[in-house]
Amino acid sequence: MSRVVALAGRPNTGKTTLFNALTGLRQRAANFAGCTVEKATGTMLVSGGEVEIVDLPGTFSMLPQTEDEQVSFRFLSECAETPDDLLVLCVVEASNLENDLVLPVGLKAAGYPVAVAVNMIDESRLNGIRLDASELSGRLGMAVALVSARTGEGLKKLEAVLSPRALRADLSESLDFRRATKKRLHELQDDAVAAAQRAAAASVTWPRHSMLPTVSRSIRIDRILLHPLAGPLILAATMFLLFQALFVGAQPIMNFLSDQIGALAVLLRAQLPEGAVASLLCDGAIPGISAVVVFVPQIAILFTMIGFLEQSGYLPRAGAMVDRSLRPFGLDGRVFIPFLSSFACAIPGVMAARTIPSEKRRIVTILLSPLMTCSARIPVYTLLITAFVPATFHPLGFNGQGVVMAAMYAFGIVMALLLALAMKYTALHEQHPSPATVLPPYRVPSARELARYVWARCWHFLSRAGQVIFTLSLVLWALAAFPRDAARLAPIEAELAVVLSSPAPDPGAERVLRGRLAAAHIEGSALGRAGRFIEPVFRPLGWDWRVSVASLSALAAREVFVGTLGTIYALGGESNAEDGLISALQGAKNENGTRRYTLATAASLLVFFAIALQCISTIVTVRRETGSWKIPALQFSFLFSLAYALAFASYRLTLFFS
Amino acid sequence: MTLDTVAMDVPVRVLGYAGLDAHDKERLAGLGLRPGVSLVKILKTPLRDPIECLVGSQLLAIEARLLSQIRVEAA
Repeated sequence: MSRVVALAGRPNTGKTTLFNALTGLRQRAANFAGCTVEKATGTMLVSGGEVEIVDLPGTFSMLPQTEDEQVSFRFLSECAETPDDLLVLCVVEASNLENDLVLPVGLKAAGYPVAVAVNMIDESRLNGIRLDASELSGRLGMAVALVSARTGEGLKKLEAVLSPRALRADLSESLDFRRATKKRLHELQDDAVAAAQRAAAASVTWPRHSMLPTVSRSIRIDRILLHPLAGPLILAATMFLLFQALFVGAQPIMNFLSDQIGALAVLLRAQLPEGAVASLLCDGAIPGISAVVVFVPQIAILFTMIGFLEQSGYLPRAGAMVDRSLRPFGLDGRVFIPFLSSFACAIPGVMAARTIPSEKRRIVTILLSPLMTCSARIPVYTLLITAFVPATFHPLGFNGQGVVMAAMYAFGIVMALLLALAMKYTALHEQHPSPATVLPPYRVPSARELARYVWARCWHFLSRAGQVIFTLSLVLWALAAFPRDAARLAPIEAELAVVLSSPAPDPGAERVLRGRLAAAHIEGSALGRAGRFIEPVFRPLGWDWRVSVASLSALAAREVFVGTLGTIYALGGESNAEDGLISALQGAKNENGTRRYTLATAASLLVFFAIALQCISTIVTVRRETGSWKIPALQFSFLFSLAYALAFASYRLTLFFS
Repeated sequence: MTLDTVAMDVPVRVLGYAGLDAHDKERLAGLGLRPGVSLVKILKTPLRDPIECLVGSQLLAIEARLLSQIRVEAA
């Protein structure tokens, strides 16, 4: 039998801060069974015994409405069926006791053992609120501890409440929320509201002034931050900073990490004899590690900013400001940050959807976030636009290539909004999950709490998604490396041997031959054969086997498309590989002398890359966030089908008009 | 009277709901917007919807469409 303490309470009561303060870094995250709702668990030692702490999703009342709220009640009922010793620790706030006490009173009436932690007691003192803990404990008939999770005040006393007990509380008569009728829950709620009001009135002494200082200060700040003119400008500046931090702040660190890991591969290659082991380490394992690690700076920077905005109280206000404009599409203000983050990379965008409390809305956001133009698409767009949109194209006097690039960004947003609109007519649509949102008082974020929050997000990515991304990178390497077609490679290797054996080897000839060798190698590999095999599938889009192989390899990361095409066109060794590739694509001819790639091919590729979920890392992250392969499989197949259909349409239309 | 007819910064007391569906009613009650609670409309967000209100001792952003369905009296 183990002691389980379930932290319950309304959102914004500091429940997660208390969870962090109690468990420190002894935490792990998983999902509650069968849903996308995150279950954070941790352990703490109390009186020599280990106690498991579970941070339940925020719950507003005894009438669960969203999946998150239902999960909390379901968890309690499931716990009641196990031999575990359960205690529900309800976290409440002294300034909002009337509302916050409804849950502990209702749960106690439903037969569960409950204790109360009155959090943010330091803030309550500053507000001039006086709370009589013994009076409250007597009225509620449960243990009450006054704490401040941020400063650590009162946590020792709270430990006494959490101590493992010799005898398990009798839960045989507790209400099974999974089977409870709506009527019974309404009765519990109504009785709990009345009892909570009586208990709050008897134990809290309010200051003489009518409004709490923290509230009046927040209203003063809101008059600036939500001002009709200044508000949007401040929001735009904040989002601009966030966007800049993701691109400008993370990029140098990503480049540094990438360079260092790349240098390690070069160093290792020089030490190892040429062969499969060297290739496995230098072309498979090390790039696989790189593919995981390079995302960490973006995730860390994004969640530092999100955590700061969330803890300061600005995030719900930012959501409220854009809420109105997103409602016609079946979305709300909370999707704003995930969508914006996805412009840097879909992975932090998908992870940022955790801040959305409604499960259906969260899934819709996760499904649509990859449509935002991430930074990995930029090299692909740049290559195709530079190669196929004429530099002489100047619509309305603007640079035509720049216009097409901007149009690709707009295309992603429009597609996401159109699909959101379409999803309004599916089971994924949920009427505005909450017609009202709590705007918590503005607070100065705690550096320690912020560091814990960022660490938890980074660690979850590295430990969960990272393993799969690494494994899949190895699989892709193996497909590109094997089998080795000796007959195809032998003549080039012989030529290379001649060049290398000469007294003064010609570096230019060596580079060309190594490029041809790499091209021949990939052509004969499983990936190259797969490209030829699937060529008929993509032929209607104007793609040949080379583009098909490059698109397959782009599953590792979209930008790999450029590198693979470079390898196929034997440009691997050239210093100006991208310029060379542009010329190679422009000049490539079919056997009958016609151009192999045209503007129509580029149009179909651009549209395909704008929509298709060509990124294993994102797919794995979606699986991690949703707890099953069902959503990413649905997302991949739907976006692939849509991308294929629209790429085909754009190919045919461009052919027709050009 | 209903909340949409009340001017900004005028304190009122919530009497009940008129025509709200069960989902919205339960959600608002869960948030603390229940009969008997004091309420002040503070400001309109830049797109004029939602409206920031002080409900009891907490600030809520409430969708504008709901205001005509919340019955109030002068406090």
